[in-house]
Amino acid sequence: MLVFAASDKGGTGRSVTSANLAYQRALTGDHVAYVDFDFGSPTAAAVFDVPSAMRGTEEQGLHSYLEGEVTEPVGIDIWRQTEHPVLRARQNQSGRLVLYPGDAGGGEFATGEDALERCIDLFLRLHGEFDLVVVDLSAGRSYAVDLVLAATAHPRMRNVPYRWLVFHRWTHQHVIAAAGLVHKENGIVRSGVDRGHDEQTLQGNIRFVRAAVPDPESPLWSQVSHAQEAWMQACNKALRRLAADQRIGDSVVLGTVPLEPILQWREQLITEDDVLSTQIANKETLEALEEIARRLTDDSHWGRP
Amino acid sequence: MRPEETVPRAVLACGEVRTCLLPAGQALDSRAAAQLLRLRADERVLVSERPNLYGRSPDVLTGVDCPLPSSNGARVRAVGTVAARAALTEGRVLQTSAYFRVPATGPDHRRPWGHYLVRPAVVEPFGRLPRDAVAEGFLGGGRHGDLDVGLIAAGLQTRLLRHPLLDQRPPLRSRPTRLRWVAVPAPDGEGPSLERFTLAEAELRTVRLRVPEGTGSAEVAGLCDDLALHDWLLTTLVRILDGIRLGPGEPAPRRRPAAADDLPVVVGALRPAVDHLLHLWMPRARVSRELAPLWDVLEDEPGFTRQWLALVQRVRDQLTLHAIPPARREVEPTP
Amino acid sequence: MTEAVFRETTAEPRTQSVPLAHLSLELGHFYMEDFEAGPDHLRRHLARVRPWAEAARAAAADRAGSTRPRISTCFLIDDYFTRFSSPAELVPLLLAEADRAGLSVDYLARESGCAVTGKVPVAEAVAGRIVEEPPPGSYGHRPPAAQTGWLANGVRSPTARAPQAMRKAAAWQPPTETAARRHSVFLDVELWNDTPDGQRVWSCPFLAAVWQLARLGLLRHQGDAVLDPHPHTDAAFPDDWDELPALIRLNPRAAPFAAYRTCSVLPNRFLPVEHAVRVILDQTDVDPEALRQVAERSAREGVPVPASVADRISYLFYEGS
Repeated sequence: MLVFAASDKGGTGRSVTSANLAYQRALTGDHVAYVDFDFGSPTAAAVFDVPSAMRGTEEQGLHSYLEGEVTEPVGIDIWRQTEHPVLRARQNQSGRLVLYPGDAGGGEFATGEDALERCIDLFLRLHGEFDLVVVDLSAGRSYAVDLVLAATAHPRMRNVPYRWLVFHRWTHQHVIAAAGLVHKENGIVRSGVDRGHDEQTLQGNIRFVRAAVPDPESPLWSQVSHAQEAWMQACNKALRRLAADQRIGDSVVLGTVPLEPILQWREQLITEDDVLSTQIANKETLEALEEIARRLTDDSHWGRP
Repeated sequence: MRPEETVPRAVLACGEVRTCLLPAGQALDSRAAAQLLRLRADERVLVSERPNLYGRSPDVLTGVDCPLPSSNGARVRAVGTVAARAALTEGRVLQTSAYFRVPATGPDHRRPWGHYLVRPAVVEPFGRLPRDAVAEGFLGGGRHGDLDVGLIAAGLQTRLLRHPLLDQRPPLRSRPTRLRWVAVPAPDGEGPSLERFTLAEAELRTVRLRVPEGTGSAEVAGLCDDLALHDWLLTTLVRILDGIRLGPGEPAPRRRPAAADDLPVVVGALRPAVDHLLHLWMPRARVSRELAPLWDVLEDEPGFTRQWLALVQRVRDQLTLHAIPPARREVEPTP
Repeated sequence: MTEAVFRETTAEPRTQSVPLAHLSLELGHFYMEDFEAGPDHLRRHLARVRPWAEAARAAAADRAGSTRPRISTCFLIDDYFTRFSSPAELVPLLLAEADRAGLSVDYLARESGCAVTGKVPVAEAVAGRIVEEPPPGSYGHRPPAAQTGWLANGVRSPTARAPQAMRKAAAWQPPTETAARRHSVFLDVELWNDTPDGQRVWSCPFLAAVWQLARLGLLRHQGDAVLDPHPHTDAAFPDDWDELPALIRLNPRAAPFAAYRTCSVLPNRFLPVEHAVRVILDQTDVDPEALRQVAERSAREGVPVPASVADRISYLFYEGS
């Protein structure tokens, strides 16, 4: 299955959260590919802690592949090449986790018919090799979003299941922006229909992930005053109403990732070690990630019996 | 057969084979296979039904003009054509193979293109060929811009995988492999020998051969296709068994619980291997008589067929155990 | 390979051979416009062709030495791009005018036959045999400039593709001919285009290249000869071009249609087309078994053919259109 990670704005934690989902699925035994289609800012290597594996891949990443400069994009086996000590000690029975990075220094580019064919070739190849393929897309209405909409509408892809995750922060502006990215003019649904998607089906394959959501119950906020707490509760309520109005309410939310301090400081994978031994990360964050990862393929969360 | 007599004696043959599962829910029958492999409108696809169903496309040529890879940094420019062809075994395993041969010396300037076109699959060096350095360099992979026949094999593979006949529903997860080979002449009077078979990286194998003079490069490519096919089968079956949890064990806390009415996970994982892979093992099926003995080396050490039979037995044992209703089982299935 | 006891016929290729003359002499290549221009135009053309045709015969006799050269003549009518009148009307007119000019037309061919003959997709098959001449630096990667439906004799000027954001677009560079001597004569040939309804239309130069291969006896379909001449037995010609066989033998005693060499007498407006034919043939991987048969027999007859197919072709261009 292909999972596309999209967001309207930057700073939603899209890349780091989708990388964590990929990691969680690999731990459960799935073979997972993480494909960096954030063409304007190809930085997934930092999240997986593979800086040195990136050396020498300037001209062999996804940019070069899609532009036809190389016939195969470079893939980095995370368990073998990461510098993260916990990841290196790959858990027994975990599946493969492979990062397909963009060219270091690559930029946004206009995609043509050839790039589309190559993109489809890549998706089909990964579909044959991996149980789950996570594709991280440039923010906003980008060439990357356009490209994968066209690719998934192509007849060659008719038997490849795909799902969309749209990430947004839990603020007024982000809620409106995320809804706009999906439902408004030139949004994912409209553009998808223009490229041959069935509106119902495409819509049914989109879910939202609320990221960096402050939980008023969390000990983080235990010091706040009554007035502050009341204000936060009111805001939360108003946001939920807004989200529902914008057609991105609770029924289409796949999960919520709590505000996680370490992710505010550094984009990284959250391991069991971070929660249990060093205790730098919150248990709730890890549980939320595990749960969303599980729901990715749980049909009951995708409106299917 | 292409006329080889007009061409100077080759002292080196090189090639690369890409092997992958055909991404189709059902294996292709012989007619569909012929349709897939019809790379040219005017040439018949070779289709054979004994000892197994096998189809092979005509050769297609690609022109090249670039340095040959070398292990000592020598940059010898060479011009000519690389032949590539595709083969489908039992409508299930797709292989694309690109190869060429090189004479000991060539003209020191580029000739008109027609000169190379009538020498299919020959790449002529400018001046003398540093044979051993090129052979080593080829197996090692060369630098960017050096001749890379793997790209030609990959290009053909991509072209075939785009064929509308394929429904892109592979019955099992698998990884493609690459096998790079070089063949140099055997000493006078000696038979062929397999000098080295290396599992280089996760997906790359390299093979070094010595073949008697006069052995066609297409024949050597045929042998290497056969080695690559069986290596891929072994690799794929090993990975299937490697990836599943056998026996009850302790239920991993992080593992997704299987739905109650689902097949047992083990059966779900092994069944496609039985349906699509186990009947494909047939070493030497399409290897010329002269080169067939090279298989014996691999049968002795590491013992390709021995390992295959052991894996097949394991698959069958597991499926047999799971066919017994749990209530009747006296022991739980374990590896 | 050693002889195998067990054989499967579908698993073994074989190639039919064709009878061959010394020279195939083309007396004209007429489009429907040429016929529309009236019988005078045809008469003028044939009158101009005659001396050159005689020169070509003399040259062939010279090359054949003591043996009497086998020479066959042919005439190609374009019914592919446009259609006009009917065979019943035009063919007798052509034959009468040729007779009047003192020329005999042994074989008559329809250009459609170079695209598809019966069920054989002749043009598609030849297109599948094109092996592009690699410019220096071709290391196995598909040349980025390769464009479907076009064939060049060198490297195209890079196209102005939108670069990645915040990168500079490349400066203009001239195209280059790969086999250039100091300076380039770059030619880019359109082989075909596809109509909006998906129909492939082969270009005139591409069909002309197929026509040359047919006359050189080098076309095969799954080992069988393509464009077998059909004897003309009826007194009359059909009313529809489709009912006329793609290649007919008008003269029952004619030398074989295919030949070791070809010569075409054409007005010089065909010059660019024939340059394109050369570019195509120089990059066509002709059926190797057919090549071998022709090379062997020509050598046995003491008139060995040049290795390069394009060098077996000659032209006589006369002034005018």
